[in-house]
Amino acid sequence: MSAPNCLRCLVRPSAGIPVASVPRARAPLANLAPITAARSAPFSTTAANAKAKASSQKEAASARGGKKLQLGKFKKKDRTADKGRPPLPGERKAYRKRITLSNDNAIPVPWLTDLGPTDLAASENVAKVKSLPEELQDQLRASEAFKPTQRWGMFRKPAVLVRKETVDLANQMQDSANKKQMLRLVVTGDKVAGKSMMVLQAMAHAFLNDWIVIHLPEAQDLTTACTEYAPIPGTDPVQYMQPVYVLKLIQALRRANEKVLSKTYTTQAHPQLPQNIGANTPLLTLANLAKEPDNAWAVFQALWNELTAKGANRPPVLLSLDGLAHAMRLSDYRSPAFELIHSHDLSLLRLFANTLGGGVQFPGGGAVVAATSRNNAPRAPSMELALAQREAEQRLRAANNNNNSAPGDIEVPQKDPFFRGYDERVEAVLRSVQVLRVGGLDKLEARALMEYWAASGMLRATVDERTVTEKWALAGNGVVGEMERASLMTMRV
Amino acid sequence: MASPANFLRLCLRPSRRLPTLRIAALQQPVLHRPLSTTQWRSAAADENAGKEEAEDEINEVFNNPGQYLSSFLRDEKITEEERQLATRMLEDWQKVPPNMRKTIEKLTEEITDASAPLRRPVVPKRDSFWNSEEPDTDLITDEVGEDDFEEDDIMAMGHAKLEEHREFREYARIAVWEMPLLSKLAKPFQPPTEEQVLRFRYTTYMGEFHPADRKVVVEFCPKDLPGLTEAQQLKLKKLAGARYNPEKDIIKMSCEKFEHQAQNKRYLGDLVNKMIETAKDPSDMFEDIPLDTRHHKFKQQIKFPKEWLLTEERKKELHEQRKQALLLDEAKRTEGSLIDGVETIQQALLHAKVEEAVPVLRGRSGRGRR
Repeated sequence: MSAPNCLRCLVRPSAGIPVASVPRARAPLANLAPITAARSAPFSTTAANAKAKASSQKEAASARGGKKLQLGKFKKKDRTADKGRPPLPGERKAYRKRITLSNDNAIPVPWLTDLGPTDLAASENVAKVKSLPEELQDQLRASEAFKPTQRWGMFRKPAVLVRKETVDLANQMQDSANKKQMLRLVVTGDKVAGKSMMVLQAMAHAFLNDWIVIHLPEAQDLTTACTEYAPIPGTDPVQYMQPVYVLKLIQALRRANEKVLSKTYTTQAHPQLPQNIGANTPLLTLANLAKEPDNAWAVFQALWNELTAKGANRPPVLLSLDGLAHAMRLSDYRSPAFELIHSHDLSLLRLFANTLGGGVQFPGGGAVVAATSRNNAPRAPSMELALAQREAEQRLRAANNNNNSAPGDIEVPQKDPFFRGYDERVEAVLRSVQVLRVGGLDKLEARALMEYWAASGMLRATVDERTVTEKWALAGNGVVGEMERASLMTMRV
Repeated sequence: MASPANFLRLCLRPSRRLPTLRIAALQQPVLHRPLSTTQWRSAAADENAGKEEAEDEINEVFNNPGQYLSSFLRDEKITEEERQLATRMLEDWQKVPPNMRKTIEKLTEEITDASAPLRRPVVPKRDSFWNSEEPDTDLITDEVGEDDFEEDDIMAMGHAKLEEHREFREYARIAVWEMPLLSKLAKPFQPPTEEQVLRFRYTTYMGEFHPADRKVVVEFCPKDLPGLTEAQQLKLKKLAGARYNPEKDIIKMSCEKFEHQAQNKRYLGDLVNKMIETAKDPSDMFEDIPLDTRHHKFKQQIKFPKEWLLTEERKKELHEQRKQALLLDEAKRTEGSLIDGVETIQQALLHAKVEEAVPVLRGRSGRGRR
């Protein structure tokens, strides 16, 4: 008995193809090929239906396709749901960047006390959470010290944790103000380690102690060519002002420092301004002159001259900036010759760089605090190297003072002689700054912070040593942003 | 044709039978078209040339150089110069003492006989199947009558297997009994002295030819070179360029541009001398050029920190810390200052004022809020 299929060529014998009767040797493949090609599926029993199916598939494909050309007079109504009003230009960004400072659903923390003028400099306040008083909140908000990435909106009231670094910084600021000197300091550290928060705390300390605070919230606003710029006539090399930004800055400055500025008076007349400003006018009046971008730069210069006037009786000044790397490189602006302008040729940043480099002395002393950023930071090799060098030098000095640890293993990093990307202007600015490295929290601080979270009802756990150690370790030895991520931002309820 | 060297060659090879092999090879038909129906015929010119050559090569068998020379002189086509040379050589041959002449003849005969199988023409069989009659050297039997079974012995393959086994055991015996004796020949390692600062590396492929066997590599540490000051050492490193390894402080150079190892080694030695000389030259000390290490990738050695080791002391310390932490927690718990997030929320919910429900308009605006 023979098998139903031809075992060699796997062709099923049918009435049309008498395969079995054809001797294999004499039936060349060429003869078989057209027959098999005509049958689309050699193993299928439904050969007759194949054609009909193909046509129906074609129809389905056309039905699935995107747009259809509608012929005829009456068009069907679009039945898609009403999408409402599209957001206006800038609305989405405003929503993204809005800052919420309180949450009515959060539980008020009973033991929370407001920050006093000396609280941030007192070492007994280390590892304590303190809330920001209302007035300070307004001042900080006016000078854009709060950032949308920070978790203010989770708690009833904005509060900050006083860290060792905070007390250190506040004490240094206070010292320099007492001696009428300038503290020039760069805050650096790992990602989400609390660098911007450190700047905020410095500002808080300054506001609470009636300093004048000038805060540049993001250096990238100044250097990424997002705001208008114009050459300042009569400067060599040419400098550029950014009138719109400066106007905004003056307004923020005026709002945040209203009280202090009204008590500070000009020492000289400013005939170059259209409004006649004589000596002994409050600085607030001077600041109020900036109503439109055209005269903003002139007003700012007058203000600056007043603030730096020698021998005048002035409160200390805090000049702060976040995102230092953007200010330490070539900006995205172009000169008329289509060359990139160095950030330090933009006059506002030039003033900042001068102050940071020690070229400007405020009569009442003060501080320049700049914070680096790790997330939004263009490469600034000179800055990185300079900061590493200053830090190593500080450690070396500390080791020499202590005399107990071996300074031999601390090495000051040197320039790579074969690297081209260094910037001498940046090096000159950062030659003698202090570096404050913000590291992880210690366990005590972590515990205080987590107790605050739990008391606000944001952390559903018992805050004992076990939980604290767990979160502290998860956060890479207490990196505060990571602790937030590990405990606040999880969806575990 | 007429040079003395050629004569000598011809004299030393009096038998001219060897070329038969070449003839056989020549006559092999070259098939241009495998399926052609026309019979193959060699070109007429080719045939004539072959014949001429054959005539030129074969015929007489000479037992000694004298016979060859006299036959050569009988030829009429040779030039006058050749004739004179041949005559002189023939005279020389005739001066050879008869004893020696006999020895030479005998030797020639022996060589001819011994090399006869070599000279047999190799003709491939026409109707062989895949050259099956060729001996297979990889096979362990000799394949002669191996399938015949006489019922008095094991088969040839079995014998071959045994033979193989014997061979293994022979080598095993050598390994056990004779190889250890080699240790008597071993020389103790002598570390290089302070004078031997250059370390050469050679490569051998155990007698085989290899393009890399001429390569020589030299390594030395600039610090070891006698009589170099710090500055000179630095200059030497700068001169070495990418050949300097800053991590190991070693300069490594190689050379394979000459044919022999010795030449390459000589070159390297000279080069090192030249470099040292240049390094000592005070006219330009390259002080303005920093040492370039861009070619080298420094490998950071990561070690397990000592502080992390769980020693007994550390364990005790950790235990103590944990105990303190537990005590602290317990104290807080009794004091009532331990904060529990869940409890806080429940307390807050208990004390929260229940706000009166504010009537809200239902409809579009209500939905639009979300």
